[in-house]
Amino acid sequence: MTFNSLQAYQEIWDALSDSEFQEALRRASTTSQVKVEELLAERRDLLELCREVVEAKKRSVDLLGELVERAYRSLEAVKAKPYYAEEAEEARRIIGSIVGSGKLVVMAKSMAAMEVGLRGYLESLGNEVWETDLGELLVQLEGSRPMHTITPAAHMTRLKAVKLISEKLGVKLKSDSVEEAVKAVREFLRGKIVKADVGVSGANALAADTGAIVLVENESNIRLVTSTPPIHIALVPIDKIVPTLLDAVKVAMVQAAYAGLYPPTYINIIAGPSSTADIERVRVYGAQGPRELHVVLLDNGRMKASKDTLLKEQLRCIRCGRCQYECPVWVHTANKWGGPAYGGPMGLIWTAITVDPIETGKLAYLCLGCGRCDASCPVEIPLSTILRHLKSVASRSS
Amino acid sequence: MLNPIEVVKLVEDNMRRYGFPFPVPREAVYSWAKPLKLPERGPVILYTGALYQLTPYIASVVEQLSTIEGSRVSGIALKLSGILSSLGVSRLVVRPKSDMVSVVERILKSIVGLLERSGVKVAYPYEDDMYSGVLLYDLGLDELFKGHAVKVYKALKSRGAELIVTVDPHTTHIMRSVYPRYVDGYDLKVKSYLEILAEGGAEFKQGSIGGRVVIHDPCLYARFENVVEHPRKLLSTAGFEVLEPRRSRKMTYCCGGPIEGLTPRMAKMIAKTRFEELREKSKTIVTLCPICYTNLKAVAEDDVDVVDIALLLSGVKP
Repeated sequence: MTFNSLQAYQEIWDALSDSEFQEALRRASTTSQVKVEELLAERRDLLELCREVVEAKKRSVDLLGELVERAYRSLEAVKAKPYYAEEAEEARRIIGSIVGSGKLVVMAKSMAAMEVGLRGYLESLGNEVWETDLGELLVQLEGSRPMHTITPAAHMTRLKAVKLISEKLGVKLKSDSVEEAVKAVREFLRGKIVKADVGVSGANALAADTGAIVLVENESNIRLVTSTPPIHIALVPIDKIVPTLLDAVKVAMVQAAYAGLYPPTYINIIAGPSSTADIERVRVYGAQGPRELHVVLLDNGRMKASKDTLLKEQLRCIRCGRCQYECPVWVHTANKWGGPAYGGPMGLIWTAITVDPIETGKLAYLCLGCGRCDASCPVEIPLSTILRHLKSVASRSS
Repeated sequence: MLNPIEVVKLVEDNMRRYGFPFPVPREAVYSWAKPLKLPERGPVILYTGALYQLTPYIASVVEQLSTIEGSRVSGIALKLSGILSSLGVSRLVVRPKSDMVSVVERILKSIVGLLERSGVKVAYPYEDDMYSGVLLYDLGLDELFKGHAVKVYKALKSRGAELIVTVDPHTTHIMRSVYPRYVDGYDLKVKSYLEILAEGGAEFKQGSIGGRVVIHDPCLYARFENVVEHPRKLLSTAGFEVLEPRRSRKMTYCCGGPIEGLTPRMAKMIAKTRFEELREKSKTIVTLCPICYTNLKAVAEDDVDVVDIALLLSGVKP
């Protein structure tokens, strides 16, 4: 996958004139900032949890190669099928060969899927593919890309969202109420999920000791997508691997808190495909949930980054999107200031790791160096320092 | 929006030619201090790093860049293809904003006065009060920055410097936290004049001057150099009631200044957001940084005063 910084600059420039885009972002970021600030003032224990996650993540990055191997063995032990994809294309190919063609695929929001261009690829193989996270579905219907890591449709106003749903899903909405739109989407997606052949998810964390995937959410779409279809494929970037299941749950809790969604409505733990041994103790896979669980571990530049003294710090990122909502530039650009999948402070660095450091460096010039991202990151990533480093990469290249 | 690579090249070229990011006469940095006849060497040196003095020039450059950014060529508003270099460096005529020049001179003289009143005698290196190179560092021009930093360090050492007193957050940060990583054997102690005044227990009682002011923390002081309480203490002992905006101290919000050379338009949008937030609390906004001052002033409405802390502490009525 490639991208061009000049094209991104063009998009940013256009977005500055889009008053609806600006207004939606202003509202979303202010609400989110206030909410998280209040939560953290009230729940000091979350700060302690952050410190534990920082330590666990630091250990994980230092032992990345070893953890990947351990996770691989643990996944096999729980009858999940692990794969290792060195690059985005390889991940697409592996998943494409599991899915095949002519299938109905439902996806739980995954930035890793966006990173490898999975939805478009599966569609190109002749599959019908639906996003089931409401924000992600809106982005799919708009034909754009996620504008925030946790809230992909942060750039849309209510009116825009409701209009998309009624026009693109062909549902007749009597009003422009959000409630009615959500209900219509629920009915539409349920129809797809129950018939789906394959469910695709990402992961908030993967525990190396148990092979358990942890996924946090509020909509319950992840529950449905990972448990209803007969096949579940999880695409897991290797930086999400942590030593233990307890570490993995802590990651999910911190992510939810810093996304302003605390307590999270659901935390899913998935260790292998569903099974039963209720009849004569014979283990049969595919009880009520999937009979197959495929876990694709995605490298795509991460192993290399883990050996770089500065970039390795980014591998602690838990994708809470806090730095995006806190950034004075992002508030005007959303993820248009970024690459094909990720944007904003952490997103630029992910783009540098997974796509192209030089083009990303040219975009990093927009970083103010103000350090609000550093100050708000729950896992203490020196984001502004890394962004300045990317500028120097771009400066040297020209 | 301007092509960042072109802007970087422009800055590089100017630095090599003039020792500044854009054409500025050397005397513009130290002429304010000529009438003060300060000693030219000594262990305690006032080092401005030229940032205050550059702001009238920056404002002029940004105005020109703003025109380029806003113009429409071939149906797109992006100025990404060689326009800056086709204009040529010489075409970028930089005339400082004269009203700003006098404000800057008053601020710098006030700082010297405040230090004297609290018993701190400083030397001033005149021709050797060079630009710190902060923009080179911010743009990732590491090699050029390193070479420049070594030059500045040697010049300050040649004036006998042991402690340098800085006047703005960018120069404080670069001299205290960045230079040591780029200059071998760096041994200068660095303090902002606000730290020196506050830690020295200086009190500037201004009697009737007091009033309610809202403080705008500069990012680098608040988040990188831990200069948060000092200005508050100084202002309140001087009789001001200090009000806090929604985002303050460690979570202060940027004025947009650092990207004004790349996209004056977005910089202004950021400044406007911050300005609105500040003026909700008071019609007197105190700044601690020349970049913040310029950017907030540029979007301020007439009924709001944006004032540098040095002027307030010196008894200038807002």
